[in-house]
Amino acid sequence: MKAVETFTTDFESTLDLPDDNLNLLRRESFEEFKKHGLPTRKEEYWKYSDPSIISNLELEFVSSGQYEDENYDVILVNGKIVKRFKDCQMGDISEGLRSGNLGEDLFKKKDKPFLNLNNAFAINGCYLILESTSRQTIRILNLITNEGKYQAVHPRCVIIAKRNSESVIFEEFRIMGNGTSFVNSVTDVIIEDGANLEHIIMDDFAENTYHVANVCVKQYKDSNFVSHNFSMGKKFARRDFNVELNQSGANCNLFGLYFVDEENHIDHHTTIDHKEAHCNSKEHYKGILSGKSTGVFNGRIHVHPGAQKTDAIQNNQNLLLSDDAIIHTKPELEIYADDVKCTHGATIGPLDEKGLFYLRSRGLNRKEAQQILMRAYVNEIIENVSDEKIRSELMELILDRLPKGD
Amino acid sequence: MLKIENLHVSIGGNQILKGINLEVKAGETHAIMGPNGSGKSTLAQVLAGHEEYEITDGKIEYLSKDLLGMDIEERACEGIFLAFQYPVELPGVNNTYFLKSALNAQRKYRGEKEMDAMEFIDLIGDKIKLLNLNDSLLKRPVNEGFSGGEKKRNEIFQMAVLEPKLALLDETDSGLDIDALRVVANGINSMRKEENAIIIVTHYQRLLNYIVPDFVHVLVDGKIINSGDKNLALELEEKGYDRIVEEAKA
Ligand SMILES: Nc1ncnc2c1ncn2[C@@H]1O[C@H](COP(=O)(O)OP(=O)(O)OP(=O)(O)O)[C@@H](O)[C@H]1O
Ligand SMILES: [Mg+2]
Repeated sequence: MKAVETFTTDFESTLDLPDDNLNLLRRESFEEFKKHGLPTRKEEYWKYSDPSIISNLELEFVSSGQYEDENYDVILVNGKIVKRFKDCQMGDISEGLRSGNLGEDLFKKKDKPFLNLNNAFAINGCYLILESTSRQTIRILNLITNEGKYQAVHPRCVIIAKRNSESVIFEEFRIMGNGTSFVNSVTDVIIEDGANLEHIIMDDFAENTYHVANVCVKQYKDSNFVSHNFSMGKKFARRDFNVELNQSGANCNLFGLYFVDEENHIDHHTTIDHKEAHCNSKEHYKGILSGKSTGVFNGRIHVHPGAQKTDAIQNNQNLLLSDDAIIHTKPELEIYADDVKCTHGATIGPLDEKGLFYLRSRGLNRKEAQQILMRAYVNEIIENVSDEKIRSELMELILDRLPKGD
Repeated sequence: MLKIENLHVSIGGNQILKGINLEVKAGETHAIMGPNGSGKSTLAQVLAGHEEYEITDGKIEYLSKDLLGMDIEERACEGIFLAFQYPVELPGVNNTYFLKSALNAQRKYRGEKEMDAMEFIDLIGDKIKLLNLNDSLLKRPVNEGFSGGEKKRNEIFQMAVLEPKLALLDETDSGLDIDALRVVANGINSMRKEENAIIIVTHYQRLLNYIVPDFVHVLVDGKIINSGDKNLALELEEKGYDRIVEEAKA
């Protein structure tokens, strides 16, 4: 367990901060993490993804660097804020906890190892408060710079959408350099009564990246959340997307698109907790797998007792472009209320041969025909992004990253 | 232009075509008629290059080249166009974008300059009028949710834009209302030129009133059992396949 040892040394070295209470919280989280260590495949939720592949890496904790790009309102380099957005209240996590802008709850010990690990390190991350009057689109860059090292970074972002605010947050993860990185990111999203939030999360990583991401969303009365989850994860990518519908009238709409190639691995675990009556959730995730890649989609819908009139729809579609690619897709429904509507569906298949023949019979070659069908396939997800500029940027990038066909 | 010799085709182990011989010269229009399941669509699909069919014997020459050695897209670029009996729906693929991509792929193949959006819009304007096509169909995904007749009209629209040398029309008339039939037939007639040829698969004499064929062939059980001029179609209509088959045997 080299990794855990180096996490420990690194953790100790970051404790020389003035605030005792903050360090106490962090220490509790770290102890909790250490108690259980990294999860193994013996655990149900890690059955297909083996986090122990990072345990033998000697990872050095990094939390500094500089970068500027005028296209972004907020920039974090290796988890530390280097650019602040002037038009909203924001700050770093330690400041937020000290000032009381952030509640301690988020940083108390959790039942997920990577959340605890992030909590232990995340002092330099950022929080953003979207005021009630806010009608903003904010672009956040999470940049990881790594010139040939083995490093661990723990980016953290807390987004608080105040009552009736309406905002778009585009959170982008990028890697510069060719080192080996373990990225353990956490995004918390809190959506207060009547607020509307559209959140786009996208990663575009270099080859040697191990990315574990947790997105934790808490919704309150009559709030709306639209999520776009784009993942072009590399070596190892695992994203847990958790939405709690805590009060009635809260609705969420989750779109996801992932592709993997070569021998890479991507795993999405989504959980929607319907805790109260009259909440709707819609989920549509699509994947494209090629080469010898592996994909996992585990979609959990938990309807708690009393959450009557729940309407939950889940759909997962997968395009397998090679015989050697593997996808494990599984809906997981736990329903403890009787007056609910829950539907789910999953498909796995190659590109439509009839469609390919039709396109080719008009003069397009096989590769072009495949590209046209794939473009249509991804567009069904991308087209839901409301901001036209972001949408076309995403389309361009994603088309460039699509498997090139055979 | 097209010369089919002793063509034998099977699929999934079933022999469907059992020795087809057919020659089509530039400028000619041929009609192929025959009962359900006799192999008409199979023949059309094989000519277009469908890869699922197995050619067990015979050869096909197209413009003095070996057609069977050509890829699907190569055949299209060399001027073969199949109007599908069952046009394929392509969800999410915009109809205009699709057709422009196809046209440009063919132009590129022929060493011509690719068309930009403006030039393309100009080009299709006339064809839309010719076929009395509803503009909104162009903005929708290819064939998705199109009515039967709209799909057929869209096939002929594509043909009008791509201007093939050899058009294979597989039951383009089925599903068309009376007015649409006339419009579509006009569209087809407008591409009848000295240097082009058409093969029409149909069950009805109706279409042949508008597009008068030079030759009519009767395909039964994978073989052409009878060939004649336009009057053969009238005779078929009158007597039905059974009697034609009997007479052919006699
Ligand atoms: N994949 C397949 N496997 C087995 N048999 C097939 C397959 N495809 C077609 N056939 C058979 O081949 C025969 C010829 O079919 P084809 O579609 O060519 O007929 P057709 O003459 O066009 O009929 P119709 O007038 O109904 O359109 C039919 O009996 C059909 O069932
Ligand atoms: Mg047919």
